Amino acid sequence: MKKAKIGSLEKGKISPRQGGELLVISLLATSILLVPAVAVEQQGQNAWLAVLLGTIWGLVTLSIVCWLGNKHPEETIFQYTETLLGKWLGKVVGLLYVWSFLRVVAIVIREFGDFMTTSFMPNTPLSVFSLSLIFLAAWTVFAGLEVLARMNEFIILLVIGSLYFILLLSLGNWELGYLQPLFRVEFLSLLKTSLIPEVWAVDTITFAVIIPFLTRPQRALAAGAAAAVFANGLLAIGLISLLATFGPYFLLVTRFPILMFVRSISVAQILSRFEVLIMVVWVAGVFAKTTFYLYCACLGLAQITGLKEIRPVVLALGTIAVVWSFSLFENITELEASVSTTSPRVLLMYFGIPLFLLVLTWLKEKLHKRQLGRMQ
Amino acid sequence: MANAFTFLKKLVARKEKPKPPMTNNKQAARKPENDDTPVLSERLALIKKRLGESNDVVIREFNTSKDQVKLALLLIDGLVDKKMINDNIMLPILSNTLANEYSEKLTASNAFELLNKHITAVSELSQASNLTQALKMVLSGDTALFIDGEQRIIVFGTRMWEKRTVAEPVTEAAVRGPREGFTETMRINTSLLRRRIKHENLRFETMKAGRRTATDINLVYINDIVNQETLAEVRQRIAAIDTDAILESGYIEEYIEDAPFSIFPQLEHTERVDKAAAAILEGRVLVMTDNTPFMLIVPTSFFQFIQASEDFYERPYVALFLRLLRLFVLNIALILPATYVAVISFHQEMLPTSLLLNITAAREGIPFPAVAEALLMEGTFEVLREAGIRLPKTVGQAVSIVGGLVIGDAAIRAGLVSPGMVIIVAATAISTFAIPAFNASVALRLLRFPLIILGAMMGLYGVIFGLIIILIHLAGLQSFGVPYLTPLVHGTFRDMVKTIVRPPWWANIFRPRLLDPQQRRRQATNTWARHTPLEERELTHEESKDRQPGKG
Repeated sequence: MKKAKIGSLEKGKISPRQGGELLVISLLATSILLVPAVAVEQQGQNAWLAVLLGTIWGLVTLSIVCWLGNKHPEETIFQYTETLLGKWLGKVVGLLYVWSFLRVVAIVIREFGDFMTTSFMPNTPLSVFSLSLIFLAAWTVFAGLEVLARMNEFIILLVIGSLYFILLLSLGNWELGYLQPLFRVEFLSLLKTSLIPEVWAVDTITFAVIIPFLTRPQRALAAGAAAAVFANGLLAIGLISLLATFGPYFLLVTRFPILMFVRSISVAQILSRFEVLIMVVWVAGVFAKTTFYLYCACLGLAQITGLKEIRPVVLALGTIAVVWSFSLFENITELEASVSTTSPRVLLMYFGIPLFLLVLTWLKEKLHKRQLGRMQ
Repeated sequence: MANAFTFLKKLVARKEKPKPPMTNNKQAARKPENDDTPVLSERLALIKKRLGESNDVVIREFNTSKDQVKLALLLIDGLVDKKMINDNIMLPILSNTLANEYSEKLTASNAFELLNKHITAVSELSQASNLTQALKMVLSGDTALFIDGEQRIIVFGTRMWEKRTVAEPVTEAAVRGPREGFTETMRINTSLLRRRIKHENLRFETMKAGRRTATDINLVYINDIVNQETLAEVRQRIAAIDTDAILESGYIEEYIEDAPFSIFPQLEHTERVDKAAAAILEGRVLVMTDNTPFMLIVPTSFFQFIQASEDFYERPYVALFLRLLRLFVLNIALILPATYVAVISFHQEMLPTSLLLNITAAREGIPFPAVAEALLMEGTFEVLREAGIRLPKTVGQAVSIVGGLVIGDAAIRAGLVSPGMVIIVAATAISTFAIPAFNASVALRLLRFPLIILGAMMGLYGVIFGLIIILIHLAGLQSFGVPYLTPLVHGTFRDMVKTIVRPPWWANIFRPRLLDPQQRRRQATNTWARHTPLEERELTHEESKDRQPGKG
């Protein structure tokens, strides 16, 4: 089968740094909400260790994906699954990934809407937030990957700048005693917690989609790894400051600890009430993440169905994501419960299939006795 | 949004179908070259027919000193240097008293050569092969000399007209820096630039646009710095302009910018000579239009609008502070009223209690919701500002007193608006004025209104929603291949820092990366006087060329 050229779907190119920044925003934007609940419940005051350890799983996925990207240059995961698994099976696996990306979109929209309606605007219906967010995301996907990456560069400055600002101001509230006893953990149980990766690690799979659009694909691994380490490091620091401010027990009974955390900051009675800041960060970050995942899903569907343009599927997938977000779960507690165990689905999607593809590629190389792709 | 624009563009383009070419007999009637003739009397009749009875057209018929040849001068009164024509053209031809042996040898056959080379004394001289060509030049201020029986026409460069002298730029005043601004006369403007950049590679490339106005356009650049692709793109876009009139550089701006429906200005304009020179030296192209002091700088990124030429002359710390201030003010001008409305209407809990009590007490008895109040006050302010601009200075002050003080005070006393809102609107207004570029601040002023409405509808979330829309738009914009948000986005770290921090001149080694100039390096490294002795410095490309032959 003659394959549709990459260029026909996406003409833009982004730099590896921009790709890394997309990964950073994906890792940071939503996890700050779920991480405390999931990790603290299992590991108490050492939850941040689990986050740091979880980075490794993200890096494993990233390395597999980058290796695959090197062996199949100019192809996204939706295309080389077809090369390796045959047309129909490949399409099915590709659709699986589209489904998984779209699921993230739905989850993020829902989390966002729940957060907004509970904390800021209780009288506004959930759909206002879902619809307006997906409207913005669809518009950006229409504009293409380049615009998305550039916009994200701006947003990331905003997000990271304000996070540092808040962390710095919170130093006065730290009670280091909450962090003790330090390191008194069972390594195995820590490893098990860190393997609940859906929360903080597996966004690295998105690199399987964007590697062909990087100006220097050989730099993908370096950029992605730096991004993952940076984002999870920041996440761990954030978790430490949350723990140091409230202690593990208070964190478990609070719905949005990050909001309480920001409310507790008050410097000289002037610098206080930073909820606005956290909302700005939240909206901007969530918007970037939603857009990025929606883009991945749309690109995937367009490539699988052999469309010449990405546009026809954007509105359809956007609408599906919104509807899905309403029916996905009843409330945020249910979501937390659903992600706090390592489901086979996660293992399959983020480790199993990529690993299988890797083995297939390796076998293919052995069989045909030639090196695939670009030399490392 | 970009797609909507392209669709609109297509729609507009479809309506204006190119007109079918003119029919043959019409074309024949229009074609003037066919009627051209070397016979002087017929030619003059033709000129009178073509130029009509305009009273500034002067035709002076005369014969050479011994009546060998019939001649005629054609000129436009007011555009020419009459003294020069009298002394250097007519006097040598007519006068017997001058020891001019050539005048006596004149015959009909050698008249053209002799007049051209020996008799007249004008430095700028050219030929035209037919009447149409000559008329074009005459209409720009040259003088044409017709010789009976000779097809060729001598054209003397005699342009001189009343012009405004070089004055201080009004719209871009600076505390420190040269006080010269561009004028409406292109020749003066080119001289101003040439005086600043005395380099052989400074180029003025002439183009023309406007079928009726025949406006001169100069592309100014330094040939071995400018990015040739950008230059070619500018050239091509200007060449594609097809209109009857170009009266100001604003016309050109709209013809050549990337996103014609955007609310943001995509080309910077300046009337400061030093700013223009600096832009050229960075590797940008300056589009110089005749009859206007405003030059366009291509390409432009958004953050140029928060830079003022003064930043580059003051101490770096001052520049840093001022730029941070402008960045802050930019945000204030855009979102302050919207944020106020959103907080008052939705998020009262965000204000400290005592402040909230004060504001609520002040709003007691005010009949409108905060959004109506905001729109009312912002609207009033815009009206006052507009009224102030057009009025003579003396009356303008009265307007600001009546408008600002009397109406504002009365409105508060009458309980129409709250004092808090007046403070907000005033702060916003002052912030708007602190942005150096007028066209950028106008864009922000326009965007303020939708943001206020969004803030009133959905609170702070609405404001952020609006800001993200603006961000999507800005991220999609490009100016001649350079992303609009460069260098904050898509730039090197060095350029990103340089947006805010103006480095000391000795440390400002590289030109902006995104312009992709042919020579990245501005100067050798470490050129601070006491850093590195001259002999040890790393040389720029240019310097090494200059120094090598002598030193060996």
